[in-house]
Amino acid sequence: MTSASLDYPVAEHVLDNGLRVIASPDHATGSVAVNLWYDVGSRHEEEGRTGFAHLFEHLMFQGSANVKSSEHFALLQPAGATVNATTWFDRTNYFEALPAGGLDLALWLEADRMGSLLAALTAENFENQREVVKEEKRQRYDNVPYGDVMERILDQVFPTGHPYRHTVIGSMDDLNAAGVEDAREFFRRFYMPNNAVLSIVGDVDPETAFAKAAQYFDIVPAADRPEKLITDPLPPLTGLPRIETTQDVPSEAVYLTWRLPADRAPGFDALDLGFGVLGQGQSSRLIKSLVRGREIAESAYASAMGLVGGNSLGMVGARARAGTTPEELEDALLSEIDRLADEPPTSAEVERAKAQTERHWMQELARIDSRADQLSGFATLYDDPQLINTRFAEVEAITPEEVSAAVAEWFTPERRASLIYRKEGR
Amino acid sequence: MSQPNAFAPGPRPHIAEPGPWSFPTPRRATLDNGLEVVSYDLPGQHVISASLVLDVPLAAEPRELEGVATITCRTLDEGTAKHSTDEFAELLETAGAGFGLDVSSAGLQLILDVPSRRLDAALDLFAEAVTIPALAGPDIDRQVQLRLAEIGQARANPSQAAAIAFRRTVFAAGTRYARMNDGEPDTVAAVDAEAAQSFHHDHFGPRGSKLILAGELPDTVQSLVEQHFGVWSGDHQRAVDHRPPEPGARRSVIVHRPGAVQADLQFGGFGIDRTDPRWADISVASYIMGGAFLSRLNGVLREELGYTYGVRMGFNPLRSGGTFSVSGSFRTEVIGDALTRARDLLSIKDQPFTPAEVKDAVTYFAGVSPLRYATADGVADQAAIQALAVLPDDYLDQRLARLRDVTPESAAAAYESLVDPDQLTLAVAGDADKIAEPLRQARFADIEIIDLEG
Repeated sequence: MTSASLDYPVAEHVLDNGLRVIASPDHATGSVAVNLWYDVGSRHEEEGRTGFAHLFEHLMFQGSANVKSSEHFALLQPAGATVNATTWFDRTNYFEALPAGGLDLALWLEADRMGSLLAALTAENFENQREVVKEEKRQRYDNVPYGDVMERILDQVFPTGHPYRHTVIGSMDDLNAAGVEDAREFFRRFYMPNNAVLSIVGDVDPETAFAKAAQYFDIVPAADRPEKLITDPLPPLTGLPRIETTQDVPSEAVYLTWRLPADRAPGFDALDLGFGVLGQGQSSRLIKSLVRGREIAESAYASAMGLVGGNSLGMVGARARAGTTPEELEDALLSEIDRLADEPPTSAEVERAKAQTERHWMQELARIDSRADQLSGFATLYDDPQLINTRFAEVEAITPEEVSAAVAEWFTPERRASLIYRKEGR
Repeated sequence: MSQPNAFAPGPRPHIAEPGPWSFPTPRRATLDNGLEVVSYDLPGQHVISASLVLDVPLAAEPRELEGVATITCRTLDEGTAKHSTDEFAELLETAGAGFGLDVSSAGLQLILDVPSRRLDAALDLFAEAVTIPALAGPDIDRQVQLRLAEIGQARANPSQAAAIAFRRTVFAAGTRYARMNDGEPDTVAAVDAEAAQSFHHDHFGPRGSKLILAGELPDTVQSLVEQHFGVWSGDHQRAVDHRPPEPGARRSVIVHRPGAVQADLQFGGFGIDRTDPRWADISVASYIMGGAFLSRLNGVLREELGYTYGVRMGFNPLRSGGTFSVSGSFRTEVIGDALTRARDLLSIKDQPFTPAEVKDAVTYFAGVSPLRYATADGVADQAAIQALAVLPDDYLDQRLARLRDVTPESAAAAYESLVDPDQLTLAVAGDADKIAEPLRQARFADIEIIDLEG
């Protein structure tokens, strides 16, 4: 089987201030996507200041020297732009996609906040966005069933002081303790052209894209770039950490987690496929045996979340059907994980996992905005934006034997942590 | 360290007008059995998106078996006359395909996404699932149990709980629209294999159905469709009349969630569909009020007051009629003030829409279209919406032209004919012990506490 060959153009240019610019022309829609990755995520946060990278992302929309508070949206949306930003463990990204005639405005706005955010940062807009972020935390985590899963999982899998020990949204206490001075310090420390990648994808030629990038960003001075955060890989978990919690949840649930190699480190892709064989898609083993066969789970999944800081996170989860205890469900999950060793993934199973990966990857690259995000990401994390064309071939080259070897090394029952949700007695 | 004064950018650039844009025009063909094939060839879109739209309104479900449409659709890919459940799943996923569905009041949608080089194999399986599914007893029974569990999850989720309570009130009591599209527990529990098989037998067929295909299509696409769907027979197929929704009586309700730290609300009323002459006007008005990031509602309740992560107002059109609502999650302590302010903001008597607001809304709609409809799934989704709502192929082009004619006065007239801030239905999911009194004081004197299971 041969995969569709990908051949998206990728051109690069570095400005004098260190801003790395990537251009990839695509004239099909008359639109353009602008995407900036700053090499700062929640893993760069310090103790007592969790949630800060994300809170800071909000402040980036509160104006700069030549832009009033929220004017970023007010100017771009009427140009037909989709505008947003997100924060993750490993990065913060800012992006807009709009008709190509708005490219200059988008670049001017991004340059203004990169160059002069502190000129507009006030205690008032800091307070306002702190409240907004607290509402975001309540809405997405604190006020929904199972909303604390990630917080509990990270606490089990990573040791005290580890960069992945805390969630991106952070803790309410830390959000409450943060001050506007922390924000100023954070900006000075991480927001500079030489700690960012700018991708411009769409209806613009690379030469024009580079010229415009220079026109708007050249005036932003370089600064001392933070040292690259290197986190040593941790070995697999030992000692079977276990948490049980009783909450007002609709179904009892089990979440099992593993430390895995870092994203793209040896073994990661093989494990990613192994998790796919186990728990992604209607033909996966968990759906076949727990949801359909034994009918003990209302849902089940397995996934590997790639992270660059030493280790990734592997997760297997299921919600129990009425009449099944969490213990029975956990045993059933574990026996399927054992079976990955006893009956190793077949080449047919691995091919199916690859085929699903391929479709998702092709759909991701079909949009200019997500293509721009991938370019920024590969440049930031791996110094290689060409990976948008070659990344899938790396996955496709994995053999079933490699999947088995990686599973044996990392993904076994005794290397797990367990998190159990029980229903409150009624 | 950088000097603050070193940064001296040039003047803010202007935006160049976007070029002309049109939604793509499909090719249409009809098979001998009546199936209409609507294809959009989109070069460079390597994942093909297919949507089979069946003209089967939820009115086709027997009252005592509501949910049977969903259960039937969800079981289509669980084995066929030719393949067992496991075999079918393996074949479909080996082809790199994804199968999905959407059940709406106007009709059913079965969705296939697949890389173009594997279209033949995937279309074969897609046709098999639609035309000769097994719908076996154990699979139907399991899907019934999974749906019941899903209802439990939905009721436990505050925004979904508010939405369930809202539809019960905004639509006339006792009508299909007031109940969940995927069925309420009592009728879902009554669905069995016989019910699903009859539903499939009576309502699945090529007549009135449309197969939408979008992406980089092979030259052979017509013959592939003919080969896989040509034998589908419509002999048993029964047509069902569409029944428009009717508005319910205004109410204010709380779904009690003890200990909730936020109140999730839906605040709105009965609306219009896309064929209403006011549709362009109300699109602009609701964008100004609650669609843009700096809308009147979000600008105040989020950006000034920090009461919420986000609040929006949207009109949700059906094939005929529709609803609208303001929705958002607010921390418990401020819900009374948030609603009072929302109601004030919703009144335009003293705050008319301005020409600048209208212009921004119109250029937004025009500007986002090329990118929104640049991908195969974007085009297929929109084409399916048009099929379900019986809209012409150039619907979006006509819509953009009408948007350009909207004035502050026409937007205001449409808005005031549909939105009376003092007569809106309110559904809130939150801690009734803490929010009932503030809501009463916020002039929701008639607030009632309800139980979704009741």
